[in-house]
Amino acid sequence: MEVALPLPLLERSGDGTDFVILSQHAPIARSSVGVTVCDFGTSTGILDGTDTLHAAESNARIPAQAPGPGEQYRFHFDMTKCIGCQCCVVACNEQNGNPPDLHWRRVGEIEGGTYPNTLRSYLSMGCNHCVEPTCLEGCPVDAYRKDGASGLVLHSADACIGCQYCTWNCSYGVPQYNPERGVVGKCDMCHGRLNEGREPACVHACPEGAITIEIVNIAQWREEYAQGANAPGMPSADDSLSTTRLTLPDALPHDTDKVNSDRVRLEHPHWPLIVMTVLTQLSVGALTSLWLASLVLGARAVRFPALFSLGVGMIALGASTLHLGRPIHAYRALKMWRRSWLSREVLLFAIFAGIACTYALSLWQQLPGAALLGACTAIAGASGIYASSKLYRVPARPAWNSRNTTAEFFFSALLLGPLFLLALPGSARLWPLRALCVAVSCTLLLVLVLRILRLTQSQVWEKMATASLLSTRLSSLLIVRIALGLLGGALLPILARDWASGWAHGWVLDGIALLLACAAETIGRYLFFVSVVPKNIAAAYLGHTEAA
Amino acid sequence: MRIARTLGLDILKEKYAYASDEEAGYISTQRVAERWVRTTCGYCSVGCGMQIGVRGNQAVAVRGDEDHPVNRGKLCPKGLSEHHTLAAAGRALHPLLRKHGKLQRVTWDAAMQTMAARLRDVQKKYGAQSVGVLSTGQMVTEEFYTLGKLVQLGLGTRNYDGNTTLCMSTAVAGYKRSFGSDGPPGCYDDLEQAEVLFLIGANIAENHPILCQRLEARRSGTVIVADPRVTKTAMMADLFLPVQPRSDLALLNGLAHLLIENNWIDHNYIERHTQGFDALRAHVAQYTPTRVAEITGLPVAQLQKTARLLGTARSACIAWTMGVNHSSKGTETVNAINNLALLTGNVGRAGSSPFSITGQCNAMGTRESGFTSGLPGYRKFESETDRAEMAALWGIDAARIPTARGLAYPDIVEAMVRKEIRALWIVATNPIVSFPNLDVLLQGLNNLEFLVVQDGFHPTPTTTLAHMVLPAAIWGEKEGTYTNSERRVSKVNRAVTPPAEARTDFDIFLNLARELGCAEELFPGWSTPQDAFNEWKRVSAGRLCDYSGMDYAAIEASGGIQWPYSASTEDAPQSTRRLYASGQFQTEDGKAKLLCTDWEPFPEQPSEEFPLVLNTGRTVEHWHTRTKTGAVPILHNLSPRAWLEMNPRDASRLRLRAHDKVDVVSARGTVRGVELRVTEIIAPGQVFMPFHFAETNVNQVTQSAFDPISREPNYKQCAVRIEKTVEHGSRRA
Repeated sequence: MEVALPLPLLERSGDGTDFVILSQHAPIARSSVGVTVCDFGTSTGILDGTDTLHAAESNARIPAQAPGPGEQYRFHFDMTKCIGCQCCVVACNEQNGNPPDLHWRRVGEIEGGTYPNTLRSYLSMGCNHCVEPTCLEGCPVDAYRKDGASGLVLHSADACIGCQYCTWNCSYGVPQYNPERGVVGKCDMCHGRLNEGREPACVHACPEGAITIEIVNIAQWREEYAQGANAPGMPSADDSLSTTRLTLPDALPHDTDKVNSDRVRLEHPHWPLIVMTVLTQLSVGALTSLWLASLVLGARAVRFPALFSLGVGMIALGASTLHLGRPIHAYRALKMWRRSWLSREVLLFAIFAGIACTYALSLWQQLPGAALLGACTAIAGASGIYASSKLYRVPARPAWNSRNTTAEFFFSALLLGPLFLLALPGSARLWPLRALCVAVSCTLLLVLVLRILRLTQSQVWEKMATASLLSTRLSSLLIVRIALGLLGGALLPILARDWASGWAHGWVLDGIALLLACAAETIGRYLFFVSVVPKNIAAAYLGHTEAA
Repeated sequence: MRIARTLGLDILKEKYAYASDEEAGYISTQRVAERWVRTTCGYCSVGCGMQIGVRGNQAVAVRGDEDHPVNRGKLCPKGLSEHHTLAAAGRALHPLLRKHGKLQRVTWDAAMQTMAARLRDVQKKYGAQSVGVLSTGQMVTEEFYTLGKLVQLGLGTRNYDGNTTLCMSTAVAGYKRSFGSDGPPGCYDDLEQAEVLFLIGANIAENHPILCQRLEARRSGTVIVADPRVTKTAMMADLFLPVQPRSDLALLNGLAHLLIENNWIDHNYIERHTQGFDALRAHVAQYTPTRVAEITGLPVAQLQKTARLLGTARSACIAWTMGVNHSSKGTETVNAINNLALLTGNVGRAGSSPFSITGQCNAMGTRESGFTSGLPGYRKFESETDRAEMAALWGIDAARIPTARGLAYPDIVEAMVRKEIRALWIVATNPIVSFPNLDVLLQGLNNLEFLVVQDGFHPTPTTTLAHMVLPAAIWGEKEGTYTNSERRVSKVNRAVTPPAEARTDFDIFLNLARELGCAEELFPGWSTPQDAFNEWKRVSAGRLCDYSGMDYAAIEASGGIQWPYSASTEDAPQSTRRLYASGQFQTEDGKAKLLCTDWEPFPEQPSEEFPLVLNTGRTVEHWHTRTKTGAVPILHNLSPRAWLEMNPRDASRLRLRAHDKVDVVSARGTVRGVELRVTEIIAPGQVFMPFHFAETNVNQVTQSAFDPISREPNYKQCAVRIEKTVEHGSRRA
């Protein structure tokens, strides 16, 4: 029996060590058509060689042939057929054995018009298997790949370290973190079923035939995608060149919009990342300040502060691994430095840590060239902060995707670094550092206010939503953050200088100033993380699990 | 392992691995079955064929039967996750008896003895009719047949009804009045084949999504949907009629008037197969387009267009569900639907039928065999011939068979309030969530000396009130047959054993019969549902719902057999069958009745105090009162709580915003803290809320208004006001 298999799989490019090629364990008995099947991303799946293949000719929901050169598979979703029954969502979860709160395929609702001329439509979406997948581009460990033969964007759980950066990069919210496993997972168009000539679970489950698989010519799609891949309730296909073709109703009312636009939830705070970013910035700022101070005061004066600053930096880098679902594999994040800003951040901070250690040692040992090492430390640290800020500037998270993010991170360093130095007993307490603190904290708060104003004025829904969060549910925290910032960053440093010889030891005040400023920055960073409103597809009106 | 997981060495690879199931193909290893058991879905009455994947004694997967004539391999989200109901949290595991105010575990023997003794005790004190029984539409036909005999002949009370009275009794009553018998004439093929498909008060996209395949498969023709709300089904319509609430009867009469006026009727059919045409013509003359337009809110042109489409179509199918049934004018509305079908000769032909789409998986089975509002086999209590026939079949004295039905569901509740019913046995239903005007029901239940609740789940809002809880097996754990909306009898099979001490309803009934001392007489030698099926086949022989040619193997082999199917039926078991193809009806003269029916405004009109009309309904993710679907994590996740739909114009007038928590207040009660959905789905002046959720129970505000004929509640309209929920600690003065 000759069966045309739609998906001759899967040649692993690169080293491939993290991927288990099933054919090595249990080759599927379709050798007559020369097919090797790979369970990409899982390792114990076994395809039974005696399996009966469901030939594709019996229906038109999947193509009968595999994609040719320059082609790939894609979903076609027919909005005019979808009745919002959620069959695809349930079938997907059953197919993949996912927990009930994790939906690789989701159904959103959009609505427009005025009663009785109301148009309700549904949007069912798995992965769009983009031509330029942003999940893949950002991944620091190369857990993603775009399969050469099928064009599918596939993710390997084995390679993944659970950094969740892909979940920030995808405009559609496709990759989802599974806390039970510590890794991300996503729709793979049920390529294992396609291999068998079977429909993907969602395609098969749809009672209306609204989801089908097609083959697309990639070059042609690049010309046409703007018409075919965009819809109300969907982020722009420009971000990643989504391949999903959408058939929309003829006359969508002009006010058609996602029904969940009044429901904005707070994003995850990512506490390890709050600690990591604030403290790396403090450390870089402090080491840079003390290097400058050492040029005036000499190396001996700054050797203790250097040690402390370095310690804080190390704590920060250690904390960052707690963010990972698989901390033990943190080192893998260095892998994709040529492509991923996350890898670059890790690499640059690792270099920074190395140079800073040498610098601290040179200060203690009074070695020659300490000043030069200090300069290198500062440059490496600043590069790290820059990389750090760049990784947040992704199109899928509009409120982050601005130079403001970079500015904020550098201002944090410029404020906390000098304050840290001022607060250390016996350290160099130079008035220019004070002046710097005051100037920076005032500028920082000004930048913050301007940023919120700009978000408010934006026409981009996600930015408006962020502004709305900051001015409503998060407004009290925002006020506390500004007040603490002014107090710790500006007022106390001035008072400490004036009262240094008075009723209290200046460094006590400086210590308090540092604590308040750190608190302000921590709250600020918390607000940064929770108030970002990611791009996503339309959702259901009610939130699934969180209380409204 | 915990450390390995925290460090990231362990990513639960085995749990999340894939394998190839011989039948289901490449799939999560969690879903790989050792064997597949064919059965029929246990939720709604579409009657989808499916298979349960079993590993050990665990149901690990389900899949639709690819070759099944009903669903062609597809299942709705509830069906696709149905195996999760079996091992769900909250299953009833042991017989419980209330002692010192608390439900405590007892043995089955003790439970059955106590139940028999307490029921007899109440009957001794207050008379035989002081015991009421409320059953369901969700057991197998064999169990309905057994329970009917047990209650009417063993226990000796007529006061037995099912939750089908909250559901399809209106269709039953309507069919009986028009055609002389219950029994939906049409079938699912009609939805596909009708040139004009008219869905009235039927939101099938939400409630019977698998039937939408039939709409999708239509190649031509027109789909008309009448509904006050822009439902998902309205989105499938070629012509949507946004009618005013409960103006359906006026619409139907108006259409009848236009059909007659324009001569879009089948004179030949009317002449040969109906009676009452002249009276009807005179009667509907008062439903002029102008008047009907005023009542329905539809433009005259739309009425004319609808009438023309219906009247000139080669075939027309008019299908309905709860929008029609849940009405104090429901039975008459069904008659008005039947009138249209009869006037246009659209009965019993391909694509031509008035067609009630049933609710529960086996509501049809209890209608056929159940001994509640009629004798088994669509026989009438009132008919001496029918009683004599039954007595002969059962070998009993005909005098033991009641000459009239007992109290219907709402009347049982009222009899509890009046302390005439003093003991109640509830089987597989959850009235605390599903019965209208909760306070009245609570008052009635409070008056009982003994309340037994037999259910697959405990605690439910109803079991927690019981004196005794009997743990029952559910779908997937028992054997028998279901009949779906199109009269298709399908096989239901046991895939796994019931949890802990739970038993099949059939076993419980036989057990109680033994305790009551009537087992030998009523169920001689019975031990399996097959015994009940065999007797039921004899009882149904020669009747409209004739099963006599069926057996379990043939049913199984053909994916269900539509009745009537006797031993002499010549066509293949799987052939499509329609009723009344010959034009011969079940009336005395064989002619269908054209009945004069009158529109009236719904009972509780909006007022200054309660200015909005509340409509209630369902959502696709949930089944009835959520005892099952609420325990299926994915369904709960997809639809975790109730909402209230309100038009933006009303919301802005009331200064309410999307996602506000609101209270729904009627003259009877208040539902607190419902999440507001501001949407153009609903018309100004109306609000909508799903009834599934016990936590925000809409039946705290619905009213005690019932159809005088079918006794079905008027769930769909009552007057309410909406207030913003006052949070704790900030009570208004």
